[in-house]
This record gives sequence, structure tokens and C-alpha cells, in this order.
Amino acid sequence: MLKGFGNFLLKELKELMRDPKILLGMIILPMLMFPVLGAVMSFSVETAKESAGKATALVVNHDTGAGSAQFIAYLNSSLRVYPVNVSTVNDAVPMLSSYNATEIIEIPSDFSQNVTDRVSTSVKFYSLYSGAGMLEGIGSSVVDGLVQQFNRNLAPDVVVQEKSTIIKGQVVDVDPRILATLMLSQAIAMPITMMILLSYSMQIAATSVAMEKEEKTLETVLTLPMDRFAILMGKLSGSVIIAGIGAVAYMIGFNYYLGSFSGMIPAGGSVDMVALGLVPSLFGYLLLGISLFVTLLSALALAVILSAFAEDVRGAQSLVGYIYPFVFIPSFALMYLDINVLPFWLRMVFYAIPYSHPIIASKAVAMGDYLTAGLGIVYVTAFTVVIMYVASRLFATEKILTAKLRFRRLGRQKKASSAE
Amino acid sequence: MNLAIEIANLTKDFGNIRALDNFSLNVNSGEIFGLIGPNGAGKTTALRIISTLILPTSGTVKVFGYNVVQSAADIRKIITYLPEEAGAYRNLSGREYLEFMAKFTAKNKDEVHALVKEATEICGLGDRLKDKAKTYSKGMKRRLLVARALMTKPKLAILDEPASGLDVLHAYHVREIIKRYVREHSVTVVLSSHNMLEVEYLCDRVALLNKGKIVADGKPQKLKEKFGSANLEEVFAKVVGFA
Repeated sequence: MLKGFGNFLLKELKELMRDPKILLGMIILPMLMFPVLGAVMSFSVETAKESAGKATALVVNHDTGAGSAQFIAYLNSSLRVYPVNVSTVNDAVPMLSSYNATEIIEIPSDFSQNVTDRVSTSVKFYSLYSGAGMLEGIGSSVVDGLVQQFNRNLAPDVVVQEKSTIIKGQVVDVDPRILATLMLSQAIAMPITMMILLSYSMQIAATSVAMEKEEKTLETVLTLPMDRFAILMGKLSGSVIIAGIGAVAYMIGFNYYLGSFSGMIPAGGSVDMVALGLVPSLFGYLLLGISLFVTLLSALALAVILSAFAEDVRGAQSLVGYIYPFVFIPSFALMYLDINVLPFWLRMVFYAIPYSHPIIASKAVAMGDYLTAGLGIVYVTAFTVVIMYVASRLFATEKILTAKLRFRRLGRQKKASSAE
Repeated sequence: MNLAIEIANLTKDFGNIRALDNFSLNVNSGEIFGLIGPNGAGKTTALRIISTLILPTSGTVKVFGYNVVQSAADIRKIITYLPEEAGAYRNLSGREYLEFMAKFTAKNKDEVHALVKEATEICGLGDRLKDKAKTYSKGMKRRLLVARALMTKPKLAILDEPASGLDVLHAYHVREIIKRYVREHSVTVVLSSHNMLEVEYLCDRVALLNKGKIVADGKPQKLKEKFGSANLEEVFAKVVGFA
């Protein structure tokens, strides 16, 4: 045994564990955060399954025989199926929203005859693509299961599925599963980028302020003939630039990582995302960039405010840890969840967290929904203005030097009041 | 004689703690004035108020006629402040640090070069100015920071424990810099120290602080004569009733 190791370790543990900021930021918060994350994930999967189970499908039936009636009745046992009296699928597409439906099933005219003859017959399934998230494919898999069961009752491979996707009101000949695999990169990339970008840049901003306090360079700087708001903006801009470079480097690496999954795409799955309109337009990218920027700015300003309450770098990093759940939970949740299917109160919680908005915006602009992205920008900008104002007030006064979080004093007050 | 600093009935509270208690003081232009006292006497608080870092709870403080509350921006144009145990930016070289600081007061590149040249002479660090500040010894760092505080020839230099923690030779060097600079450029200096021998050597006048109050002030020689003491340490001990 190393001489003195035990004694030194004990000292180290006492020093770390007795620092309330570390105790809260490193131990208690993660213990609370991960169960919440777990609950969000399981809720996401349940919601997706539930909404898939309750899926509504429109049926364009070109067959008049008993076979198709039997097939529709079978589907109706698990889905809500509405036969519509139109001649082509394209005529049915505009009716999807009025029925709140996500699928169109087109039954060919020879369906009953083929079923009777036990000959393979193709049924076309058109799935509405909404850009909801990673669990979007669940609806399609529910239909797969139903068709398999139907076949099992008759004969194998009688009903053969032909799958297409409806994107922005247009029928495109792409299997929704292939699309889901391709869209996985979009569904994952933005939340992960947000997590990395925000946590890195907040650490950079908090550390840079705390370092100035620790080294007492801040005191010198605050007595220089310069605008104090310029100090704040200099700190924020420096952090934004460094974090931006980091994010670009990260995205390059992440793209290679996602590229390694190309084997997952089924054969013949070459899909032109631009032609499908699933790549944001220039305006969409602009909105997404603004959304990212204002969110980043608000996070950095918040980190600067928190670090003003720390006496040193370690304290600042621990304090910034309190913001992480507000970054991680929406990021993980919105990877899987379609925010529109959530209960109202939960939707409001996610909308209230500013760090949700770039993720919501990234899905919205891909689908051409600029209003959602725009409203998010307005909200986050308002939040940022408030935070920037607080941060600038902090820099304008002596609070930047004298503010401290006094856990110990609070603890003593609690003890004193309980003794009384 | 012009007054560099006028302090009247200054009180500063931090929560329930009174750091300065009805503190009044005048500092003449062109003199080296020393605030002396033990740790926690209120020296740093007084210097931070003069340098516009923190606000008074009550009372008035003026620097060359500017009020620290209403005209802080004007004061920052004519002062420099050296905090106790301050550091330089670790990843900047000494020269880069001086250039960074010079740009806040210089009007053009030539002026920046002139200020850096001046600081290079004051600190005497020579080629080591090309190295990052994190490689400097405590003494070298302090010399760099003192040079930074004096290079702009401010009307008032506020130096908190300028030779704090330095060995005999480095402390001597720093004291010599200050004394020479004030003599050559008519800069007013207010400094704090708990090293009373240092203050006695450097200062034209001193104020003795204890528990946020001035307990005695005047020229070091006069104070020694008044209290019949051999040095300022003895004067202080007698004033606070320790001896």
C-alpha cells in the first residue's frame, strides 16, 4: 500500500463531498436527471405505439368483392379505417387532414379474385411523413404486423405490400422505412449537436469568467476605460466563436459516424432528399441558424450569470451543471418524440425551455413549417434579452465581484430555525 | 495643492459586516500615500471604492473632483488599479498582455508601441516578455503588473499590496520602480500594505487603519515622533493599544 494514500484520499473525498456545489451538480442532479430521462424515453415509445395503434387510414378500394371487405374489416379491428369514394390516391391525399389520418391504403380491383385464387395481390400503402422523430416508423411497422397476421389466416404472401410515402402532399415512391433510416441522421444530429454545443460553450463562458475572478484579472479589467457591456459581449462572442468551431469539427466527425451506418439502408434505397423536399430551403437554414444563435447566446449569458456567483473555476463549472438537465432532457426527448402528440401541459414545458427550440425548429423547417420556427425564435430572443439584461446589470455593478452562493449560510439558517 | 482624492464619511457594509466605518481622508496630488493596517482592516475595500469597483454604502469619494458614484467612467480614464495578488492572462505572453492593456488608452499603434516600450523598461523583464505569463515566477508577474499600472502615466495609480508575497530582491525592485516613476512623472500613488517598514520607506504620508477606521494619519516621521516610536509598527501597536 502506498504510504499516506489512504489519508490523502480521505482528505480529498471530504473536500469534494463537502462542497455543496459539487454534491448537487455532480451527484444529486445526475441522479434525478437520468430517471427523468428514462421516464421521458419510455413515455415517448408508449406514445408512439399508442398513436400508431390508434392510427387512422383512408381506404381507396377499387375492388367490389367480399375479399376486400373482409380485409378492411380485419384492418378495422386495430386501426380506424375510413373507405373514401375517390378514383385515385392523389384525390385522397387532401382528405388526410380532415380525417386526421396518416395512411392511405389502395386496394386493387382484382383483390378479391386473387385472394380467392390464393394468388399474390399487391396492396399499396402510402404513409404520411411528418418528420416527427426517430419513432416515426412505428406506424408503418404496426401495418406490417397486421398484414402478416391477415396472410397467416389465409395463405403466406397473398397480400403483398407496396409502400410509398406522402411528403408535403405529394406521393413519392419511397419506402417509409428507408426514409426513416435516412432521416435518422436529422433526428439525432440536431439534438446531439445542441447538447455538445451548449454544454461546451457554457463551460467555456463560465470558466472564462471564473478564471478572471480567480486570477483577479477581472478586477483590473473592470477599472479600465472601457464599456462594461463590451466586456460581457467580448466574453460571449469569444465563447460563441470557439464553440462554433467546436461544433463544426464535431459535425464533420458525426457525419462520418452516421455514414458508417449506410449499410443499414435496404438495397435500392438511394433516395434524393433534395428532390423529396426534405432538406431545408435557404430560408429554412437561415431560420435554423438564427434559432441556434439566439439559443446559444441565452445559454452563454446564463452561464456567465451563474459563474458570477462562483469564487473559482471549479465552482463555476459545478453551477453550470444545474442548466444541463434543461438541455439534455429536451434533446433526448425530442429525438424520439413528436412534440405535437404530447399532452398540452408537457408540450408547454418543452416550449418553455429555450433549449428545445432549435430542435423543434430543425424538424419544422425540414417540413416547411416556418411559423413554428419563427415563433420559437421570437420566444428565445425575448428570453435572451431578459438574460442579457440581467448579465449586463451584473457586470455594471459590484455584484460581479461580490455575489456568492452561500449554501453554508442557508444550511445554518435551516439548522437554527429547526432548533427554534 | 490639488487634491487627488477626497473621502468624506465613507461607510461600506457587506451584509452585516461593516468594512469601513465613517472613514474620511484627503490625498494630495503627486504624493505617495499609504494605507496601512492588519488584514481585514478595510484597506482593500477603500482602494476598491476609489478605483470604482464597488460603491460606497454612504459618504462621498472624489478622485480629482470626479465622484465615484456619478462619474465612474471619467475616473477610469485617469486611474490604474493593481489588485493584491493579481495575475496576468496565463496564455498570453508578457508583451501581448502589455499590448492588450495599452490598447485601452493608446490612440494609435505608435502610442501602443511607446507604452509597451515604457513598460518593458519599467519591468526589466527583457526577452522573457516573449514567454507566456504562466511561465513567470511570482516576482516576474508582479513586476509585469506594476509596469502595466505605471506605463500609461496615470494621474492616480492605486496599488494594493504592490510587493505582497515577494522576496527581498523582487520587493526592493518593485519599490524602486514605484518611487522612481512617481518622481519622474508626477504620478499620484495610493497604496496599501501591511508591511509597515515598506510603507515607511515609500510613502510621503500614511493613514493607519484598524477595523474600518482611521486611527492615525500623517507623515511617517511625524507619527513616529508623536508616539515616541522607532518605527510605524510600534506606532500602530501603541495606537490600537496593543503595546
